[in-house]
Amino acid sequence: MIIEQLPIINLLLFLLMALFIPLLKRKPFKITLILGFVVLGLVFISSVYLLWYVNNVGIIIYTFGGFEARFGIEFVVDPFSALFTTIIAILAAIIYIYSSGDATDGIEKTEYGRYYILLFLLLMSMFGILYTNDIFNTYVFIEILSITTCAIISIKKKKDTYTSAFRYLMMNELGSLSYLIGVALIYMATGYTNITLIGESMSNAFQAYQLNIVIALGFMIIGLGIKAAVFPFHIWLPDAHSSAPSTSSAILSAIVIKVYILVFVKVLFRVFNLEILNEMSISTILLILAGVGMIMGSVFAIAQKDVKRMLGYSSVAQMGYILLGIGLLSFEGLRAAFFHILSHGLMKTALFLSVGEIIFYKKTRKVNDFDGLGFIMPVAMGVFSIAALGMIGLPLTSGFISKLNLGMAVLDKNQTIFLVILIISSLLNVIYYLPIIISAFLKNEKYHYRLESIEKTPRTMIAPLILLGLLIIVVGIFPNQIMVFIESAVRSVMP
Amino acid sequence: MDIVDKIIENINYLGAIALFVIGLRIVVLHSNLIKRIMGLNIMGTGVFLFFVSIGNVTGGVPPIIYPDSSGAVYINPIPSVLILTGIVVVVSITVYSLSLVIRIYENYETIDQKELSRLISEEANDH
Repeated sequence: MIIEQLPIINLLLFLLMALFIPLLKRKPFKITLILGFVVLGLVFISSVYLLWYVNNVGIIIYTFGGFEARFGIEFVVDPFSALFTTIIAILAAIIYIYSSGDATDGIEKTEYGRYYILLFLLLMSMFGILYTNDIFNTYVFIEILSITTCAIISIKKKKDTYTSAFRYLMMNELGSLSYLIGVALIYMATGYTNITLIGESMSNAFQAYQLNIVIALGFMIIGLGIKAAVFPFHIWLPDAHSSAPSTSSAILSAIVIKVYILVFVKVLFRVFNLEILNEMSISTILLILAGVGMIMGSVFAIAQKDVKRMLGYSSVAQMGYILLGIGLLSFEGLRAAFFHILSHGLMKTALFLSVGEIIFYKKTRKVNDFDGLGFIMPVAMGVFSIAALGMIGLPLTSGFISKLNLGMAVLDKNQTIFLVILIISSLLNVIYYLPIIISAFLKNEKYHYRLESIEKTPRTMIAPLILLGLLIIVVGIFPNQIMVFIESAVRSVMP
Repeated sequence: MDIVDKIIENINYLGAIALFVIGLRIVVLHSNLIKRIMGLNIMGTGVFLFFVSIGNVTGGVPPIIYPDSSGAVYINPIPSVLILTGIVVVVSITVYSLSLVIRIYENYETIDQKELSRLISEEANDH
């Protein structure tokens, strides 16, 4: 085996696993679960190896079928894609262990197989989006991703999931078609779909066909903005993310929308370049969107009574933080944004999984019903508290480091107003996270009669939660070890 | 007459934009779910027309090499090939969303967005 083939093998493993699940239908479901775990483990190992390889030896370029890059499809593994595929593999493995512990609430037993098929296709398309170096190929993977996400949202046989999946599909398709028209305009101006080649010819094309490039950039920002739930385009997110099963809410909120924002980064910095972005003052537009999103997302979250909807709106606010880092168009800003992608991924996964466990046993999603839960489910509420404190940005958690970096990046660019917005948004986070923690640990439980019905939680559900809680704190205390990889990723995106 | 010439020259691009905008209007504003899916298809067709127009070369011939066709101007086949993938994608999206509409109809017995919003908000108030 040659090292260049490793990224393809990652994708193939996921695809083969998705194909294998229906064949194992008559066997006990445990075999499928174990096989899936082996696949995730192998992909994790190869992602880590690729991460080490690209950081120490050099980037990997693979062209399919031996066609040269301008005709064929090219996969590039550089510090950027290797880092984020590793993060996705870690988070996916944690969520997978949790989901095997009978926690896929609302899905019928016979549908389990289908759920895992969708999960592996989802992972395959996300890896593909990150590895590929071709904007049209990205579009194809994006479409696979949107169909599988919709299917995962609507897998529960419940009324409201269908309408929210439909709305998600419509919004997403508007986004995809906008992105596609952006691809068409870029192809018209440059004659390539390969990102590297476009990047080389972009400056000339901007001189010759300025209108094309400007419209393409607009369409792509709107298209990817809809998919990444950037503030004014976020309306589909709370419904879709709250009606999905808890494990897939974690995947959708922690990983899927991040992948779109990573495509956004790729498009901004590799397809277009800094000169063009500065000339059109894209920075101002992105910063305004980010600032409004940070405030409004938190304000909407305060008003929610359903805990999962609250977490969904909180994701909208957090996307604002990431967009703020990107919108600064500086090395420090992008570093803070990448770090926040990691830390928000960890915290949102922890929040959704612990809430998932609470919903699984207490059958309640109301914020008001959390009274006294800290005594009944100490692990779930403990991890919830750690993650919520991380969201607020308390020291010792990873959320603190990302907010610190973000604040420094903002000051570096003399945009003091956004520091104020950052602090206000953090305070708003306090308003909706802290009451839950206080009522869970300091109030008595409302419904004593439910105490007997609490079952013992399976270990497969407890272990991932503890692991996530530990990871949040470890990343918060030792951020420098990870920062090395993040910095090399930023350098590979921003020459 | 200059502007008329320009319009005739770029008629396929204008058509593509028109289809895109018509589709967008239907997707966003129409309340019938099936018509919204149709709007999506119209929008997609607009994008495809745009893409295929890029590959067109005035006076070009299809890119098939005959023994006696040396020196001919070929049209660019790559956009058409890319769009084949795009068509497949839009077909699958259509199939999936139509199946969702069937499920919605089974549960709510309506495919009108306004009616649906009313039913959903009533249900939310009942709880």
